[in-house]
Parts: sequence; structure tokens; C-alpha cells
Amino acid sequence: MNVIKAIQLYIDKMIEEAGPGMKILLMDRETTSIISMAHSQTDMLQKEVYLFERIDSGRSNERLKYLKCIVFIRPTRDNIIRLSNELKSPKYGSYFIYFSNIIPRTEIKALAECDESESVREVKEMYADYLCINSSLFSLNIPTCLHSLNWQQEALERTVSGIIGVLLSLKIRPTIRYKNGSQPAQNLAKRVFDTINKESSLFSFKPPENGVPPPLLLILDRRDDPITALLTQWTYQAMVHQLLTIKNNRVDLSNVVGVPNELKEVVLSAEQDDFYSKNLFSNFGEIAVTIRDLIESFQKRAKEQKKIETIADMKNFVESYPQFKKMSGTVNKHLVVISELSMQISKKSLLEMSELEQDMACRADHSAQLQRVKKLITEERISIEDALRLILIYAMRYERHANCGTVGLLNALKARNGRTHLVPKMLEYISQSARNELFNTTKIDAVKLTRNLIKGLKGVENVYTQHVCVLKDLLEEILKGRSIDQQYPFISSEVPYRRPPTEIIVFIIGGATYEEAFAVHQLNQMGYRIILGGTTIHNSESFLEEVITATNGAPFKHSRSLQAFHNASNA
Amino acid sequence: MFSDDNSDIMEGFICPICKSDQKKLESLLQHFEDKHSEEKDLVQTFRDVFKIAKKKILNLDESQLSKTFDSTLKPNKSFNQLEFVEDNQDIGLVKDHIEYFTAIRNPRLERFATETNKLIIRLNKLLTNRPQDPQQIKLHEQNLVPWIDGKLVKLCPSCAKSFFLTRRQHHCRICGSVMCNECSNFLSIDDSFSIINPSYEKSKPNSSEEIILKEPEDSIRLCSHCLHLLENRKQMQDSRSVRPPIYNLYEKLEKIKKDVAPDLIMYEKIITSLYDGNSVYTLADAGALRGKIGHSAEILDDLSKKILGQKCAKGSREEALQKSIRLAAIKFIKENMLTLPPIPLEEEIKKIQQKRITEFNQKIERDRRLAQEAFERYDLSGNAGFPATSRTTGSAMTSVDNWSGYQQQTNTCDPLVEQINIIKGYIKQARDAMRFEEIATLEQNLSELQHEYWLRSQQKE
Repeated sequence: MNVIKAIQLYIDKMIEEAGPGMKILLMDRETTSIISMAHSQTDMLQKEVYLFERIDSGRSNERLKYLKCIVFIRPTRDNIIRLSNELKSPKYGSYFIYFSNIIPRTEIKALAECDESESVREVKEMYADYLCINSSLFSLNIPTCLHSLNWQQEALERTVSGIIGVLLSLKIRPTIRYKNGSQPAQNLAKRVFDTINKESSLFSFKPPENGVPPPLLLILDRRDDPITALLTQWTYQAMVHQLLTIKNNRVDLSNVVGVPNELKEVVLSAEQDDFYSKNLFSNFGEIAVTIRDLIESFQKRAKEQKKIETIADMKNFVESYPQFKKMSGTVNKHLVVISELSMQISKKSLLEMSELEQDMACRADHSAQLQRVKKLITEERISIEDALRLILIYAMRYERHANCGTVGLLNALKARNGRTHLVPKMLEYISQSARNELFNTTKIDAVKLTRNLIKGLKGVENVYTQHVCVLKDLLEEILKGRSIDQQYPFISSEVPYRRPPTEIIVFIIGGATYEEAFAVHQLNQMGYRIILGGTTIHNSESFLEEVITATNGAPFKHSRSLQAFHNASNA
Repeated sequence: MFSDDNSDIMEGFICPICKSDQKKLESLLQHFEDKHSEEKDLVQTFRDVFKIAKKKILNLDESQLSKTFDSTLKPNKSFNQLEFVEDNQDIGLVKDHIEYFTAIRNPRLERFATETNKLIIRLNKLLTNRPQDPQQIKLHEQNLVPWIDGKLVKLCPSCAKSFFLTRRQHHCRICGSVMCNECSNFLSIDDSFSIINPSYEKSKPNSSEEIILKEPEDSIRLCSHCLHLLENRKQMQDSRSVRPPIYNLYEKLEKIKKDVAPDLIMYEKIITSLYDGNSVYTLADAGALRGKIGHSAEILDDLSKKILGQKCAKGSREEALQKSIRLAAIKFIKENMLTLPPIPLEEEIKKIQQKRITEFNQKIERDRRLAQEAFERYDLSGNAGFPATSRTTGSAMTSVDNWSGYQQQTNTCDPLVEQINIIKGYIKQARDAMRFEEIATLEQNLSELQHEYWLRSQQKE
């Protein structure tokens, strides 16, 4: 179960079927990103794919009949119409057509009627309909998926086909569980379940051997764990996303001072970049040491090897040069990224921030924490976004505390012109179960208490990474075989298996985070087979956007006491 | 070959062909051009290597860093292992629609094809014995294709406007249907000829037919439906027959890429075998193959440059295509051809081989001693000497040197010896033709034969 591999196998197959010769790849907006996540452009060049074209943007009328055209598009109405027009007056010699998802037969018929010059060679469905980020992490690139706390129709359709794509590309027919009480999760589970039954000919995989439980598709809701998306991150990939924002494996560095031109935008791909893939989940301390060692030996060697005297030296140099160039490019790139991260950490006092965040997320100590938040949010060195994050965490954590000081904090933020309206929005966004379980300070949960006690006895390894996301706890429960039927029921009447499933696909409505990807990665290293996906991958900034759209149109129920801050205009 | 003093510098300036020492880079190149001008490509590769080396060194005075990177990066491998050990993942589900697609498409195409064929036959008739006088042309046309009675048609079928004095009826010369002037299309006689006869060359000004065709209005009026069918046919013909120069160049390029792939593998094999101290391949083999690969790299470079130089409009897709191909070729050369491991130095190889021989001899010595001890223990010494062992040593020595010692015995008429000589001949031929796979098998045969020969001579004694 490796989603990058799954997409690559599909792409390689398409190229292989087109055979030798010069090729062009015709894509739409989404499939362009899908392919770029799995293969670099230079990879494609080596496979004789020399040109790339978008079917949905201004196209030239140039005819290049000696080219073979590989078409890889989503089966949307618009795309079919565009492709029909292309086939009526074909620009290329032959066409190999691949749809990224299930396409109705009527559309095939319409296309066949347009192929008057007999140039179509293949028509297939290949379910590469999602963006692979890490080997066990995928995204659907839907920035916001809810409105008025329910699905936006378009987002729901895209999500259903995305999940169907993941299942078919990994040849999995799962049982489906969803988070009880979440309407979006239930809707999605139902839709996926219906599609699987409707397309039962596609999902006719060999059933698991006797006694082996079927794979599990677990549908969750971001609203149950809003904290994880707000915390300062300390593993490499998560940090880069939090502080610099990763978009389709690309990081925009044009705002960084003193960056050379060729590094204005860098590609961070676990597939193409060894250093990155080895250090995805390293924490910042480790990675700083790694890169420092690398540079030290680099400099030492450079001094030693300055003289090239014999021809043998020269030859050796020439022969190792391309490799050297590639390697030094990579190191250079990461050096720039890491130094920018480290600059931001000290500029924004993120260590201090993180300590308080983690403390609030893991330990209840109201009055001391309130004092610290109060102090920090007024200080200039704490950025206004970070101040807002602190208040958000505090407001969720102590929503029902008798001496809740949210209003006071919001007034302080308002004085700094912060986006105060986000706090009531967030309180409307979080789910009932987050309220009851995550932030409950009054009711005492016996299991959690003992667990916390044990944790307390062991001592905290790292102050900045003590928080554990809800997903990790949940997965551990499932893998231990504990019953989760109450909170995460099956969508259909399934016979519950005694043994825990060995393969799990988790999907989070409202976006996953890199912290959760790390949790999944840790479990996978222990030998489990888990894949995580989300409508998107959030950092705190994009998560707040999601919260605003999701609560648009929803009435204020939980935050009446914060009425003064309901509107954005008064900021 | 080597003088003893400062031999370490001279190593690098040995002419690979005649092995003479040339002290300096310039004089070596000079020597090369003077004495071995027939090996042009080798000279070229030689030069290229120096050129690149010089360039790189001038630009950047750090070297051999990649090894440092490798070594510093490698320890990390264990510390952040790959996620779950990858099972051989199969490709995901694929659903094929081509059967249904062709089931819809092909009958339609056949219908079009018969219709188009009909049109082409008519067109052919219209063009044969075409009179010159316009009035006669009309008669000729009407004779061949029955025109629809204009009275039956009140409106133009394609634009639905009514006919009257200024919007007159016209007939499609191929199917005979009615349309207005605005909806008419025209096919030039020249084009018509190329449709009915794909091998038809556009007429030259001095050709005999030109007299008839020169009239500017001389073209065939036809409806859009017929035009569409005919154009479709013409395009299909064109796309099948047209092979622009870039296409041919590209085919050559790919062929060389394909041909060089086994050479690259072979080269690495030879180098490893040399370092292992095997005598199957010689240093000269490695050098020759390296030269061949270098030559291919040059051709690749040249071809891709030619592709880049093809004429095309600025900013066009064609231009982008040419650039991409060139880029891919450069990358291929850089990654596969410039990174070849260097040829080991002759001394080094000799040392390795010497070491093997000594080890071998030591082993034999040890065995002999053990045997001797055993003999002494059982008081059998003096019964038989050990001629065999000394002989083994000898043959092992010569085996490293391609068994040259046995060449002296060529005039005996032993069939085995003859066989051995034949195989030696084959090896020489294979080496000349750079068929290195063959050399390996032949060498194997040779050593088996020689072993057999040795056993037999042993028995005779």
C-alpha cells in the first residue's frame, strides 16, 4: 500500500502502452497536479514525453501529426466536450485516452462518434484521481469543503470519486466506518458505500482469506480534533508547511531575503529528493545537525581538494561532477529552507509559543495558563497570527470554565487589530464530541486519567512534541482490537470482526495535517499498513480559512457570550 | 614502457594505442593527431574529456565532493527507514473501454469510407477528360453527376435562406445537391488530383497539365459535407505518408540510445572484471569500448543539435518539442555516459593480477606441504615426486597471461591443440569486432580445453 507507487504504476502503464516515439501529454488542471506529484518533468522527458498541454486552457492550432498523444483527464462533462472537439479535428497522430475515474458509457459513445479519422488507440479508466504526497499520505486539494457545517455539493462529489480512486488503485474493497454524530462523515460514508455497490463489477477483488478481516475505510471529521491543526509543528515537512506553506510539493521562497533566483520556488518531493525523504519526519534539532555535518565536510573537502594535478584527478573530477552537482543542488535548497525556518523560529519566539500551546493542549492549569497567554499576546515579538492561535486554543480548552477569560483576551487582540471574529467561528466549528472528550475539564474519564497518570510518571520526553493527535490514539485502539462500534459505527450491517483490520485507510473531512501523517508513519514503521488522506492538507492558516467557510451560514449557538466579536468588520 | 623516475606523472600521458610516453598533454594530443589520425573519434573523445575537465575546473575549484556527500548522507539511511518494507505492489485496477469504443466507431467509419470512396470515384471521373471551355465543363459535370432539380429546393439546405434573383442556386459538382453561393466551397484542381492519387506531386509550372489548370477560377464547387469527407481522407493520407525531417532524426537518435545501452552494461562488467584480476578482458578492450561509447555520445549530441536546429516558428509547440528533445539527450549523455568509471591503470591491474598469482601459488605451496607431511607421516616419501604441482603453478601463471606459453607447441598435430588455436583465433576476431559477450564464452571454452590438454599430458607422463 503505497499511494505514490500506485500513481506511478498507472502513469508508466499509459506511457508504455503508447509505445516508443515522441509523445505529448494532454491533461486538465487537476490531472496536471496529480502527475506532477508522482513524476518530475525530467523523468517524463526520459520516457519520451516531450510536450505537456492543458486541454482546458488556450491551445494552439498547430498540427504535429508525428506525435503520439496521451490524454489523461478527469471524466467531467467539460473535459468530454473538449476532447470530442479535439477528436473531430485531431492535431496529433494517435490518441491514447485515459480517464481518472468511472466514466458513463454514453460518454464513450459520444467520443467514439467523434473519432472520424480513426486516431484513437486506447480508451481506459485508470484511477489515479488523487494527489499522492508521501507514500502513505494523499490529498484531494479541496481547500474548503463545508458550508454551514455541511457538505458543499461539488466538494462531496470530488471527495467520493477521490476515495473511489484510492480504493481501486490499491484494489481494496473495504468495510466502512464513520464518526458517529458527524453528518458530513455519515453522508460521505453512505455515498462511497453506494458507489461500491453500484460498481460491484469493478470492486470484485478476491475476498480476504478466511478469518482475515477486510480492510477498513475510516471516515473522520476535522471538527473532532481542531487542536492538531493549530499547534506549532517541529517535524521537517510539517514545519515547512506551517511556516512556508507547501502547495503541490512546491514551496514559494520568493519572499525570503537573499534567495538566489533559481531557488525562488523549490520542489520538495519525497519521491525525487533523497535528503527530503530521509528527513520528512526528523525533528528540527536532528535535521539541523544533519545539515551542519554535511556542510562541514563539504567545506573541509573543498579545501583539501583545491588542487587538481594529475590527469587522474581531472578525470575523477569530471566523472563525479554530474552527481556532485545534483547533490550540492539538493543540499543548497535545504540549506535555504532550513535557515529560513530557523530565522522564523527565533523571530517569532516559536519555542516559547510552542511550550505554552503544548501545555494548554495536554494539561489543565487554567489560571497559570491564562496569565501566560495574556502576557504573550500583547508582546510585539509574537506575531498577530500566533497570538490568535494561542487565544483559539485557550478559548476551546476553557470554553466552559467558570472563570473563562476569552473576552478579555479578545479585547487585547482587538487592540492589535487581530481577526477576533475567528474565535466565535471556531467555537461554532468544533464538534460536540470535541467539546465532550477533548476539552472536558469537569467530567473525569477514568481511562484517560490513568493514561495521563502513566504519561506523567514516565515524564515528558520533549516539551514541544508532547501533544498526541486524536487520530493516533484512535488508531492504536483499533489496532489493539478494542471495540469502537459506539463512536465509529459501520455504515452497513457488518458482522464485526474480532481481529483488528490489517489495512486501514483513514480519510479526514476538512483536511488532514502533517502531524497526523507522522503518526501514521510511526505506526507503519511498526509494520501496520495505514494510509491517511484528507480533503486537503492543512497548516493553521489554511485551517482557519476552512473554519470561516464551514461556519458561514451556520447560526451562532455556542458563542452567544462573544456576540461583540461575531462580525469581521469590527476588527 | 615506464621509466622508473617520476613514473606517477607519466602514467597519465601514455598514448593508449602505441603506449609511447608523451610527457605532456599537448604533445600527447599532437602525437595522437600525427601518428593515429585514423582513430579520429578517439582523438575527439580524448579532447572532449579534457575540454570538459578544464571548463569545470576553471569554474569551480572544489572537487570530488559527491563522495563526501554520499558518505555523510548514508548513515542517515538507517535512522529514518523507509515506511513498511515494500511488497511488490501491482498496478491498480484498469478498466478497458476500447472494445465498446471501436464497436461504435468502426461501423460509422465504414459507412463514411464507402461514401468517401464513392465521392472519390466521381471526382476522378470529373477530372479525366475535363474540357477546357467553361460551358463544356458544365455539360461534362452534369453528364457525370445527376444534378438535383432546382425547383424542388426553395431554401438553401445549410443556411436556410430562400433563393431569388441575387441569391442563386448552385450545385455541388460531386453529389449534385443545391446550395447558395455563400455556402459553397471550392476545391482546387491541384488538390483534387492529390486526393484521388496520393502519390500525385503538386504540378510544376512546366508540366504539361499546367496549361489546363492555370485558369484562376478553375476549381470544383462542392458542398461542405463532401468537402469534409474528402478533407478527412486527405488528412489521413497525409499523416500516414508525411515524415518530417525531425521524425527521421529522432528515430536515429533513439536507435543510438538503444544500441549504446548494452555497451554501457558491458563496460561496467569489463571494469569490474579487470579490478577482480580476471584476464578475460584486457585493458585495451576497456579502452576500445570506452572509445566507442564516447563516439556514440558525440553522435547523440550532434543529432539532438540537428533536431534543435530544425526550422520552426518562434514560440511554437514544435520549437518547445525540439528543445525538450535536446534537453533529454543532454541529460542522457550526462547521466549515462559521462559518469562511466575510469579505466584502471595498467600497473594497478598488474598488481592485482600479481597478487592473485601469489595467493594462488601460496595455496599450492601449502597444499604441497600438507601432502608432503602426509607422505612423510606414512613413510611414502621418495616414491613419487610432485611434478604435477610444479606444472600447475606454471599453467596458472600462464593462464593469467592468456596461456601464451602454449603457443610454442602449435606445430604438434594434437587435435586438442588445433582446437585451442582455432579458439584463440576466434577470440582475436571477436576482440577486433568488440563482441565482448563472445569473448567471455570463448575464453571459458579455451580454459576448459587447456585444462583437458593438461590432464592428458599429465596422464602421458
